[in-house]
Amino acid sequence: MSFIETDVQKDLRASVARLGERYSYTSYTLPRARAGEPLTELWNEAGKLGFLGVSLPEEYGGGGAGIYELALVEEELSARGAGLMMMVVSPAICGTILARYGTGEQRRRWLPGLADGSKIMAFGITEPDAGSNSHQITTTGRRDGDTWVVTGRKVFITGVDRADAVLIVARTEDHRTGKLKPALFIVPTGAENFVAQPMEMDIAEPEHQFTLFLDDVRLPAGALVGQQDAALAQLFAGLNPERILGAAMAVGMGRYALAQAVKYASTRRVWKTPVGAHQGIAHPLAQTRIELELARLMMQKAAALYDSGDDTGAAEAANMAKYAAAEASIRALEQAIQTHGGSGLTAELGLSTMLAMARIIRIAPVSREMILNFVAEHTLGLPKSY
Amino acid sequence: MNIVVCVKQVPDTATERRLRPGEGTLDRATPDGLINELDEYAIEEGLRIAEAHEGEVTILSMGPAKAAESIRKALSMGADKAIHVVDDGLAGSDALATSYAIAQVLEETGFDLVITGSESTDARMGVLAAMLAERLGVPQLTLASKVDIDGTRITVRRVSDEGFDEVEASLPAVVSVMEKINEPRYPSFKGIMAAKKKPVRTLSLADAGIDADQVGLAASATEVVDFAARPPRQAGVIVKDEGDGGTKAAAFLTERKFI
Repeated sequence: MSFIETDVQKDLRASVARLGERYSYTSYTLPRARAGEPLTELWNEAGKLGFLGVSLPEEYGGGGAGIYELALVEEELSARGAGLMMMVVSPAICGTILARYGTGEQRRRWLPGLADGSKIMAFGITEPDAGSNSHQITTTGRRDGDTWVVTGRKVFITGVDRADAVLIVARTEDHRTGKLKPALFIVPTGAENFVAQPMEMDIAEPEHQFTLFLDDVRLPAGALVGQQDAALAQLFAGLNPERILGAAMAVGMGRYALAQAVKYASTRRVWKTPVGAHQGIAHPLAQTRIELELARLMMQKAAALYDSGDDTGAAEAANMAKYAAAEASIRALEQAIQTHGGSGLTAELGLSTMLAMARIIRIAPVSREMILNFVAEHTLGLPKSY
Repeated sequence: MNIVVCVKQVPDTATERRLRPGEGTLDRATPDGLINELDEYAIEEGLRIAEAHEGEVTILSMGPAKAAESIRKALSMGADKAIHVVDDGLAGSDALATSYAIAQVLEETGFDLVITGSESTDARMGVLAAMLAERLGVPQLTLASKVDIDGTRITVRRVSDEGFDEVEASLPAVVSVMEKINEPRYPSFKGIMAAKKKPVRTLSLADAGIDADQVGLAASATEVVDFAARPPRQAGVIVKDEGDGGTKAAAFLTERKFI
């Protein structure tokens, strides 16, 4: 890993930044989030420019670069307040899993669309009784002749209304209990006996969350991704990019918040001095910058490890990056609001709305507490608590 | 069709720009060099014409080594190749000297169509297209907000106070464009990757057949005699409305000959 980005990475950053500026937060993303409408124009344009598929293989229409570049795209968009939540899911999780473990047919069918954004795949892992404890997943796939019959229930599944299919994490009938041996199924959103119900969230977002009911959904044999009962590796191939992309969104939102705060603190005068000259305002912003920069560096390390093929090393780094980025972005938004005083809570700036979005990343895809458990147990070797 | 787009690297207009004491030339050592904004429209128009008429787009830029970044950016938008004229002897060239140097290169490369932005954000002379056309002995169609090409016939639309003029000529020609003409594309990831492999020819004065005595600060016809920093903004006048606010405002505007 080098601290110096290549010309390609720098040019990509610059081009994505300009796209993000055109679809900026207050003029585009914020009104859409409040209306609960998707960011379709931005999504399509980012897809056409090859930004969504930057990490997918070239032979399937992708850019042939890595998760580093995909995270860079997400970070720069988010830094303009134009982050795309479905990037975390569709190209980062589903695209990566299909590229690494999908059959030839699955790759041909899905990857070109996921790369240019014309197809969207959601990801369904969480269940009412299996959140952090994903080993207790009960959604089950049963073989019936040449087909699979999948039954189960999922919650908090993002963007299903816009998706062509959902990559469902299940287990096979033979491994109904015990340590999870995940079987991944591509379930078209139009499949019979597949019902998606929107959940009412108290967050203004362009994407909606869904509860899914799969009641004997019949799928062709080709719906199973990779190996039945494959080791967890297949699942984690997608979960590490998810964490890295989540960190990228958080770092980007933090950068956005900090930029707003700095702009305001440099110009707003109370009595004679710009408020940014006062250390009570300046120091927390400087601290925010340091914390964001550290989180960003960890995110880049995680991406570099992942792209080098070190899945195990990437897991720890991706967890740490997601933890640090979520905390830093929440503090950045808090401090940006505080710096603005009363203006910080106006609808015009939308900082409270963004704070709620940043708040998601402290919980998802894995909670702050579960990361601390992971580091305590795996990094420090402390006894397991659960 | 052989299309050459002239591209200039300029300091970011969002940053503070400085003149070099003594010479009165622009300090180009600032870290944020960008493609002159109107030149992006010129590149976009060149690419669109090339796509519609099976053309090839060459980027032609004169500037210090740092201008290579802007050339790469232009190539990442989709241009096919580039020529970078870089030589210490060019530093300080005014519009006349610049047009001579660029015309020399164009004579050598040949062209069907030369496209420029209508002015640069740094010098803001807005005369390069006209000077090039004169030196090359071809028609100039300046300030275009629309370009149509039909065989060797070129028609541009130029916005005027009354509406617009249509200007017609035959190729080869020089066109300068306005920002209304199109919306420049963003470099795609494929474009960024491809730009690395595209040929960039670097020419010194000697390579390009440019007479060193006709370019640079010393050979320039214009001279910056003096310059001064813009004076700080004066405090405004606050008029208290005591029933006569309108009259006072009108008097203020009359005094400054606005009404």
